[in-house]
Amino acid sequence: MKKEILFSLNGIEVSVFVLGHERLIDVLRKHLSLTGTKEGCGQGECGACTVIVDGRAVNSCLYPALEISGKSVLTIEGLQGPEHRLSVLQQAFVDCGAIQCGYCTPGMILSVKALLDSNPKPTEEEIREALQGNLCRCTGYVQIITAVKQAARHLLELS
Amino acid sequence: MKRFDYFLPQSLEEALELKKKIPNSRFIAGGTDLMVQIRGGELKPSALISLRSIPDLSSIEINGSIRIGAMTTVTDLIYNPDLEHQAKLLVDAARRVGSPQIRNVATVGGNLCNCSPCADLALSLLVLEAKARIQSLSGTQDVPLQKFFESPGKSCLSPDQILTDIFIEPVSSNTKSVFLKKGRVKMDLAVASVALLLEMEGEICRKARVAAGSVAPVPLRLQKVEVLLEGQALSPELADLAQRMASESVAPISDIRGTEEYRRQIVGVYVKRGLAQILGWGLV
Amino acid sequence: MTDFRFIGKRISRPDGPDKAAGKAHYIHDLKRPGMLFGKIKFSQHAFARIKHIDTSKAERIPGVKAVITAQNTPEIRIGFLRDNFALKKEKVRQYRDEVAAVAAIDPDIAEEAVEQIRVEYEIQPGIFSPDEALQKGAPLIHENDSRGRARTDNIVPIKFHHESGDLGAGRRSAKYMVEGEYSTPLVQQSCMGTAGCIAEFDMNRNLTLWAKTQIPFLAQRDFNRALSDMGLQDKNTRVIVPTLGGAFGTGLDTHTYEYITILLAFRTGHPVKILYSREEEFAYLSPRQSSQIRILQGCDSNGKLVFRKVEVLQDNGAYTSWGATYPSVMMLPATSLYRVPNVFFDARLVYTNNTYCQAMRGYGNPELTWALESNLDELAEEAGIDSYELRRLNCNLPGETTPMGLKISTCGLKESLESVVKKIEWKKKHKKGKNRGVGMASLIHVGGGARIYKSDASGIILKLDDFGNVYVYHGGVEMGQGLHAVLTTAVAEALGVRPEKVFINPTDTGTCPWDVGTHASRGTFMAGNATLLAADKLRTKIFELATDVYPREVKKSLEKYRKKNPGYQPPEIDFKKAARLENFDIKDGYLSIKDGPAEPWLNLELGRFLRAVHFRSQGQMLTAEAFYDPPNELPDFEKGYGNISATYVYGTQGVEVEVDTETGEVKILRLTAAHEVGKVLNPEGLKGQIYGALAQGIGYALYEELKTEKGRILNPNFKDYKIPTIQEMDFPIDLDFIEIADEFGPFGAKGIAEPGLVPTAPAIANAIYDAVGVRIRDLPITPEKVLAELKKLERR
Repeated sequence: MKKEILFSLNGIEVSVFVLGHERLIDVLRKHLSLTGTKEGCGQGECGACTVIVDGRAVNSCLYPALEISGKSVLTIEGLQGPEHRLSVLQQAFVDCGAIQCGYCTPGMILSVKALLDSNPKPTEEEIREALQGNLCRCTGYVQIITAVKQAARHLLELS
Repeated sequence: MKRFDYFLPQSLEEALELKKKIPNSRFIAGGTDLMVQIRGGELKPSALISLRSIPDLSSIEINGSIRIGAMTTVTDLIYNPDLEHQAKLLVDAARRVGSPQIRNVATVGGNLCNCSPCADLALSLLVLEAKARIQSLSGTQDVPLQKFFESPGKSCLSPDQILTDIFIEPVSSNTKSVFLKKGRVKMDLAVASVALLLEMEGEICRKARVAAGSVAPVPLRLQKVEVLLEGQALSPELADLAQRMASESVAPISDIRGTEEYRRQIVGVYVKRGLAQILGWGLV
Repeated sequence: MTDFRFIGKRISRPDGPDKAAGKAHYIHDLKRPGMLFGKIKFSQHAFARIKHIDTSKAERIPGVKAVITAQNTPEIRIGFLRDNFALKKEKVRQYRDEVAAVAAIDPDIAEEAVEQIRVEYEIQPGIFSPDEALQKGAPLIHENDSRGRARTDNIVPIKFHHESGDLGAGRRSAKYMVEGEYSTPLVQQSCMGTAGCIAEFDMNRNLTLWAKTQIPFLAQRDFNRALSDMGLQDKNTRVIVPTLGGAFGTGLDTHTYEYITILLAFRTGHPVKILYSREEEFAYLSPRQSSQIRILQGCDSNGKLVFRKVEVLQDNGAYTSWGATYPSVMMLPATSLYRVPNVFFDARLVYTNNTYCQAMRGYGNPELTWALESNLDELAEEAGIDSYELRRLNCNLPGETTPMGLKISTCGLKESLESVVKKIEWKKKHKKGKNRGVGMASLIHVGGGARIYKSDASGIILKLDDFGNVYVYHGGVEMGQGLHAVLTTAVAEALGVRPEKVFINPTDTGTCPWDVGTHASRGTFMAGNATLLAADKLRTKIFELATDVYPREVKKSLEKYRKKNPGYQPPEIDFKKAARLENFDIKDGYLSIKDGPAEPWLNLELGRFLRAVHFRSQGQMLTAEAFYDPPNELPDFEKGYGNISATYVYGTQGVEVEVDTETGEVKILRLTAAHEVGKVLNPEGLKGQIYGALAQGIGYALYEELKTEKGRILNPNFKDYKIPTIQEMDFPIDLDFIEIADEFGPFGAKGIAEPGLVPTAPAIANAIYDAVGVRIRDLPITPEKVLAELKKLERR
């Protein structure tokens, strides 16, 4: 039997009817056609499906859909600025060569977002710690770290 | 994914009633292991009964002794300012649990009820001599954590019981602890791990608590090693002895993560290094 | 060197913004109206005869639209030697053999239906190692070849052999020699985006396939053959490549799941999608082959290499893919890394009941280089020569032709060795540290295409619109490596337009010209050269038209300019003379006269020019095409001779490690990678290629291994198959790009996609030896292995 969930998605209240076994990633990709959130392993090992729930990064592939009621969810689609502009963080990934195949990118960016929101000046060690749950097979992570540092710098300049 | 129903009871009683009513139902805490097991077909529950909406299960209270609600997330352990002082070992272990995404939803209770031999929190809580509070429709009981784990995946809980809280006593000021964990990569399930706590009086070890992970069917207290150390002046020679004893007193298996031999080696080395680290000997 | 406008500058990749926004569409994200979901039933027995398949229960499940088996579908043969079938009829030969498949309205229903299919088997004892397979009287994995001829052994009938010089004489002249056996494991490519495809037929019974492929045109050929097998003679496949979540060699073959999807789509009359889960990707997609390599090489008293003998034994698994041709690349380092006069190389591939394998980045080179560069250090030790000195002494040189017939045009090996020695502080650190050590290893790889097929070519079409935009149609595949960034930069540079005006069309066999595939580090080299040819044609067309159109248009501009600037006196220009074909130039999207006066009205915006050419009587639109086939040759692999690539790349990596002698853990302290690249085209993209390859090389060296038991993969997930995370890449990496412009390379550039992972493992193994004196010859170098060797050393 389907049950209704009401939650805030990228700042907008939404209602979706879901089955008991469905997960947050199913709500996003299947019910709402928000395909920016990627499924990479379904086991919480790769982090491609990372979204932010009430300020914390979570694997949406392990998150029961019915638990999302009343919560606030941020996905990659909610990061983009007005008039089709990338956010500072996304732009840093583009500028620093932090993107190759791009499949891990949305999840990676959301993990960084969760980090920078709570720790605007992370050390390199803190960046590694925050991103250890996001696998990338293309980049070797070096330019991702550069991008995080650049994003943190730009965000501080803006604030 | 197999289909199942999902319930969000608002009280313990409601949760226990549901459990009684629905055959083949399971409680779900953070779900970071359970969801994987269901996906892999290892578990095929008809319904999941979530404990996330039950009030008071996810709070930490420090009032003389420390009460940690079973639904407290690993992240909440890490960021609790008081816990860092009063149960540092638990926080150190919490930092080594999975990725931030996992720690943000995985719970203390889930980590314990999984009864995985490698559970990081279980190890530190064993050493901290935690008690588990268990509730059923018929009442409440407290169980020493050492009696909680029965076999891989099986705790002492019967189907009609819920683990609600963990109690630990704050450690005294002359207590030092260390948590060491070896994974295949840095963030991994433990190939082997050691939690070590010493209460010192000058050179003399008044109390020693040692536990090891991934070296037995359940998280294991190394009581022989504890006995060896207690009441003694700790020396590198004794540490060597402790190392050997630790290696010999565990019963690991070989599996995909590591061999039996290697696990014995690591447990021994980590017991020795733990002692060295606590006593400030530098790397021996 | 030419002054470049965009080449070598920081230009962001064109697909970056969409990927950062989650708006790039992978196969996972694509849907077609009425689409069904397919699921495959795998055998779960490594060697068995199929007695009976009962699909009745599955068929009755509501929402199931088709259940297919080999019994109710046409036979489709696939594989490099056509020894595999889309669905298995009589026998299964590996744990992952496809015995049935389902199409349903929902993935969950498809999964449930697959579980309801019952298969009865007669199980046979399998063969799970090459040694067993080679034993006399071993059961035959394949009793017949694809033409029905009886087979007598389990050896894959493809020969790779090379002999040059006089091995015996070489051996006799050797003062020192070392023999060693080295092995490498099965490893998984681990693309973050798993495999999948969508197949859809139109009512003319032509097929469109959205495929995760690196070879759209060879795939088209394969699929058309399958259509023919299905009774659809003369029907066509259009292959469209969506955004790829990595490929790393997994797209070099067409796959059983693709043929099954096609069969399901044809049967149901609906588009069908099959998407592998992570577990399926690990367990049922082909990994990199494992190998056993025996090397014996020797040098004279001065350290000059005098002979080398290399024997390779590979576990091919149950069927062949293009990956069965790994030894074609193994021959390169075997014959041509360092100067060795007398060389013997032989490779044997053996059928077993293990999972069949396929290509992965480096294609045999990481395996062979692992063995060769480990063995070279052992030889240095034996001869009492510094291993860097030994390498330097035997360094390849530009202009040489190697024993295999490789024509080395440019060669940066010496430079790369010197770079590493300096940056890793070799002289200070080698043979010095307690539990700390340094090691190095070098490589050779193809850098100018690799002819392993009759054509090694790549086509391109450049199409101009009315606004000065350039549309690029190219058959190469962007899989994350940055091909589209290179194409954009190359087109902008070669044509003289701004990069923002360049649009790369999705790879589609229906619109793009033929390309053999994106592999062998050839993307940049081929796309760049094809671009140069096409851009030259297009510029010539523009300049031809400009002799007439340009003077007319700029005179109009002059009139306007004069109105705005009263009293302006234009310089005298004799347009008859100036507006000659050879005098024109295009820069940043403006047509002008080379070395002409710098008057603004003389710069004619390309779009305006194109409109003037288009919107007139007998007007025209401009396009240009080119088909570039590099100057290389298809080697004779049985003789092991032929200049397979137009140019080659060398490089060296150095690494410093610390070994924990009680836990066996190896900690990388720093790494330096010096690679010759010809010319840096896109700095951020190039760095990314090397950094990423290094991470894969480190995974190969220290962590990665698919473990199997009787043909079953035991660790089909990221929980137990560990690839490096950001925590493992926690040491400084120093990259050095050696630029020696190559005459064949576009703008001087060579391909550099694979080399970064080739020498990493032996460099680490050599550093471990330097640190603690143990030599690990079996990848991956796990702490267990290091510790076991340390204990052996202690006992000695």
